[in-house]
Formats: sequence, C-alpha cells, structure tokens
Amino acid sequence: MELFKLEHKKLWRKNSTRVCVLLCFFYCVIFGSVLVCQWLTFGSRKDYGTGSRDFDGYENIKDCQAYFHKYGELTDETLQEWVRDYQRLNAAVVEEESKQGVKNRELLKQYQNTGWETVNSMLKTLYPELERPDMFAVRIMSCYVEPEKLTGIYERREQAIETFLDISGQTGAERDYLLRINEKVKTPFSWKWVEGWSNLLGNAVSGLGSVIALFLAIVLSSLFAGEWHDNTSPLLLTTKYGWRKLACAKVFTGLSFTLELFALTAAGMIGSQLVFLGTEGWDMPIQTVKMIAIAPMNMLQAEIYEYAFTLLGAWGFAGVSMLFSARCKNHVLALLLSLSVVYVPMALRNRVPFLLEKVFDLLPLVGSGADIFRTNTFRIFGQYIWSPYLLIWVPLAIGILCMPPAVRGWSRRMRR
Amino acid sequence: MELSVDRLTKQYGSKIAVDCVSTVLKPGVYGLLGENGAGKTTFMRMLCAILESTSGEVFLDGREIVSMGAEYRDILGYLPQESGYYPNYTAKEFLLYMAALKGIPGDVAQKRVQELLEVVGLSDVAGKKMKTFSGGMKQRVGIAQALLNYPKLLILDEPTAGLDPKERVRFRNLISDYAGDRIVLLSTHIVSDIEAIADEVLVMKRGKVLTQGTVSELTKKAAGKVWELTVSPAEAKIWQEKAAVANLRHEGEQVVLRILSDDKPTEEAVSCEAGLEDLYLYSMREYLR
Repeated sequence: MELFKLEHKKLWRKNSTRVCVLLCFFYCVIFGSVLVCQWLTFGSRKDYGTGSRDFDGYENIKDCQAYFHKYGELTDETLQEWVRDYQRLNAAVVEEESKQGVKNRELLKQYQNTGWETVNSMLKTLYPELERPDMFAVRIMSCYVEPEKLTGIYERREQAIETFLDISGQTGAERDYLLRINEKVKTPFSWKWVEGWSNLLGNAVSGLGSVIALFLAIVLSSLFAGEWHDNTSPLLLTTKYGWRKLACAKVFTGLSFTLELFALTAAGMIGSQLVFLGTEGWDMPIQTVKMIAIAPMNMLQAEIYEYAFTLLGAWGFAGVSMLFSARCKNHVLALLLSLSVVYVPMALRNRVPFLLEKVFDLLPLVGSGADIFRTNTFRIFGQYIWSPYLLIWVPLAIGILCMPPAVRGWSRRMRR
Repeated sequence: MELSVDRLTKQYGSKIAVDCVSTVLKPGVYGLLGENGAGKTTFMRMLCAILESTSGEVFLDGREIVSMGAEYRDILGYLPQESGYYPNYTAKEFLLYMAALKGIPGDVAQKRVQELLEVVGLSDVAGKKMKTFSGGMKQRVGIAQALLNYPKLLILDEPTAGLDPKERVRFRNLISDYAGDRIVLLSTHIVSDIEAIADEVLVMKRGKVLTQGTVSELTKKAAGKVWELTVSPAEAKIWQEKAAVANLRHEGEQVVLRILSDDKPTEEAVSCEAGLEDLYLYSMREYLR
C-alpha cells in the first residue's frame, strides 16, 4: 500500500501528468460540455446561412424544456399537436419576414425551441411515404406533412424496426432475438425535450473515450518506460521490492489514475449537465432519440451505460498501454503503440470488411457506447449477443489480460 | 559472510565483457581498479543480480544470489555508475521512496533518511527538488540511498565521481566507519581513494581480474619496478616513447621521470618506493607508451 501511494504520488508529480489532466478536463468539460450547451449547440442561431450562434444556450434549454411540458407522452395526438404548432410558428416566421423584410428574432427563437430536429427525424423514420422528394432541398418534413396523417405511431415503429432489420440482412434467429429485446420497450413513451439528451448520449459521453485515450496514453506510456528515461532502473531493481511488487504498484497506479482522470472529467460533465439540462427527462425511453432503437432503457440508464462503457474501456486501454510501457524501453515508442491501438482501428473501421469492423469495436475505446441505439450483434458459439453486452466487457478483459505480461515483462526486461 | 564468485562471464555477441572471473569477498572494503571498458560495471551489475551472466554464478554464504531474490536484495546496497533520479522529487522524497522500495517501515524510514541526509551533508537542501542539484549533490543522494537499509553488501560504482576533495574525504571516512563486518566493493579511477580505505584491491583488465591483494601486498609486487630518472626535456620525449612513464615533473631545466620497468632502465635511474598507483599503472603499462 505504501508503495502504491508513493508510486501514485510520483505519477502525479510529473508535469506531463498535470498538463494532461488539465487539458482533458478543459476539452471535455469546458469545451465539450459547457461551451456546447451555452454556445455551440444550444445557442440561438443568428442566421441559418452562416450557422453562427449567440451565447444564450442556458436560456434556450430552459425554454425548450418548458415548451415540451404540455405534451407529457408521445401519442398520435401529441405528435399531431406538435406538428401543427411547429407549422404555425414556421408560417408566422415566414409571414413576419415577408412583412418586415427581416426575420423576427423572438419568433425565430420560439420556432427553434420546438426541438424540431429530433421530431423531424422521427417523422422521417416512421412515415417515409409522407416525405416529398420535391421538398428535400427546400423544406423539412415537419413543415409540410399533414398532421392528420400521423397516426398509429407505435405500430409504425414496430414496422420500421422490422423493415430496418430486413434491409440490414438481420433475419431468422438474429431477428427474433432482437425483436425479443424490443418487446420489453414500454409504450407510450414519456415525451419531453429530447435534444439535450440526444446531444449528451450521442456525442458528449459517447465521444469521451476517444479523448481520454489520448491523455491516458501520454501519461501511462511513461509509467514503466519512464524508469529507463530517468535511468532509475538499476536502483529500483536492487531494492527488496524492486521487482514484482513495484510493477504491481505501478499497475494499480495506472488503474487508479485512469479512474481519477475519468472521475474528474465525468464529474465535470455531470455537473455541467445538471446546471444546463437538469434532470428533466431522465425517465424518457431512448427511443425518443432514435425510434428504431430496441434497448429497453431510459435516458438515465443509457447515460450510466455510456459512462460505465467509457470507464471499463479506459481500464482496458490502461492495461494495453501499460503493457507497451513495460515492454518498450522508449516511452515515445510506447506512446505511439498505445495510440495506434485506438486511433488506427478508428481510422480504418469504415474501410475494412464488416467482420473486421466488429472486431475493431471490441478493442478498448475503439467501439462506441452509443451502440445501445443500434441493432448490432455478435454470434458466439451459435448464440446471438447484442453488441453492447460484449462491447462493455471485452475491452476490460483485454486490459486485464495485458497486466500479468506487463508485470512479468518489465521485471525480465530490466535485467537484460 | 562470504561472497564467492565462480567463473563469472558476460558476453555481448563476440565481445567478452567479463571473462571467467572467480574471487571471494569477505567482510572488508574492496577497491576495484581498471581502465574504462575493463568490465568493472558489468561485473558489479552481475554481483547485484540485475544483469544475467552468460555463465558462472555468484554465491552468498553458499546460496546462489539470483535464487535468493528479495532476501539478497534486502541486504544489498547499490550505487550505479550513473545514478538516476526523479527530477520533481526532493532529496527527502526520493530517499523515502527508495526506503519504501527497500521495505523500510515509514517511521523508521523518516529517521533514517534524516540521519543520512546529515551524513552526506544535504540536510539543508532536503526539501529542494533534485533537478536543481549539482552532479556532486545528486551523487551524495545516490550514496545515501545505497546506505538506507544498512546493507551487509554495499556495491558502489564510482561513488566519488563528481565529489569535490572535501566530500571525497567525508565519503572515505563514512565508508571506513561503515564497513565493519560488511562487504563493501567500490570502483573508482581515483587510486588514492582506494589506497586510503580499501583492505583489498582487485585490478581488472579486459574482463579479467589481473591481480588481487591488500594494498601492501600489491605495493610489494611493484617494488623494484619503479624508477626515477632525471633527464633533459629532449631526452624525456625519447623516454616517453620507449618506456612506461608514470609521471613527469619539471625541476628547473631538468625533467624528473617516474618509469615503470622490470629492469633498471639506465644506470642513472634510481629505484624508488612503489605505491598502489604504480602497481595499477604497471598493470596497464602498455597504454603508457
């Protein structure tokens, strides 16, 4: 324990560690969370042509959430009511613009705060026959669809899932398996403002792993290899605990640092989430983000899954990174190897056969926690397994498998 | 306690760094002399069990040291030739870290570290980061870490490198006091350091132990082989080419040469008292020409 504490202290003493933690926090919390909410995603659009935004995200988010209070549940009636309201606002914006020559900012803000992006995507998924090809480039579907035709929303959803599975070639036992998962999804859906959760689950939390990987690799690649750089190996090796105990202390330090980096970043992101989005809508099913998602999960469960996915993946990646650090004398080489484990498969995943792409997804921090919105499966020993079940555990298992060779390899290599 | 080295050999490809060295070390201070590349560091690293030998073994009281593992390392103190350190650690933190690695309990370590910092004259700068230290200060921290666990076997690879004369004297006294019933093996290029404190000296050359014995024994070996000759500067140049000249000093218009030779080099040469340095240089005499 004493050794672990000292090793841990040593790691945090390094300037590179402190800079990495600071940058990771800044990027994920300040840039990826606070600025996204207040400005980049939820700030009012100044002009649709340029896409520039005001620094008023907090206000908009509260307006959006308030706007959806009147709906409560997603039914044919509430969907129709939303479309009518949206079309009314859209018409008012257009009329005001034709009268005044410029857009009315207040009306435009109200119109933006209807959360039309996710609802429009819902309409396109459930009512594809109502989409007009001649309108593709001119207006979004919510502008012209006749509200009375938006009926049978949940039957339409079932149908859309089956069609999607057919198109994806997921038939037979695989299809039955996925539909069985979908049966647990309860209807009608609670319906509040979705876009906040959509951004959180689809971008912020699911993208956290790829950012953490960079900083973890920088810090952990020098955990073992740094002893060569500092030329301290002969000293360490001639001490009583200079072999395996020190290596074990280093492994636990690496795991502990990973947890700390994750916790610090996640706490910042959750704090920002609570300030900007609050807890409203936590019980909405994830299907309100993506209608053909089959997971019987609400937003809170999905968020917990994505954070757990990132933490376990980060531990798995820490194991791999420490293995390279223990096996390479040069920490730059260890860093490059560690980074290549994540970023090379990420870069290649769309250029390789589907099977290889699925294998890549199992590597630590390569896959995405957002797979809970998808219908991907793995077939193992004839059994179909929904991908999120494997994606959360396999990276951790890879990391655990890397740890014993890291400890052994370091001890052995030091003596050569 | 007895450390016996049995035909210890280390080979890197076709180069033999340590060539079948056998010796026995008993409590006392041992000085290891040899030119650069003689195999001193390799030999010491194998004695510390941090370098695998190509063949041969080292035994401590009849037990093979590698198989002793942590038990052996528990009685070992080692200062490598180029001792590493953590730049962002203070001297005190570094020593406490090393103490933990040596399995010394926290409260004991605190006292021992304080004591050693005073012994090596660093107590005033104990709280300063090591990256601000001079080479000599870092070397003193290295010496302190080697002594943390009161090692019964202390191996110091060029411990006096970078130390100023005052510190060298302090170090020599420290080692003399410390040795007692322990084995201390130190290598250095500074023969006077070894002459002052070593009970026995091993001279290494090209991976082999050329000779081993007490300072007086070795000095005796050089007896009758050290000559002084006073010549003109022009003649001095000629003598430097044809004989092993250990020293050259100007006295007025003349030059006094200290020549190492089995036979009297010339009628004018005068035999003089041999020292350890003479024996060492005599062993390396081919490099002196």
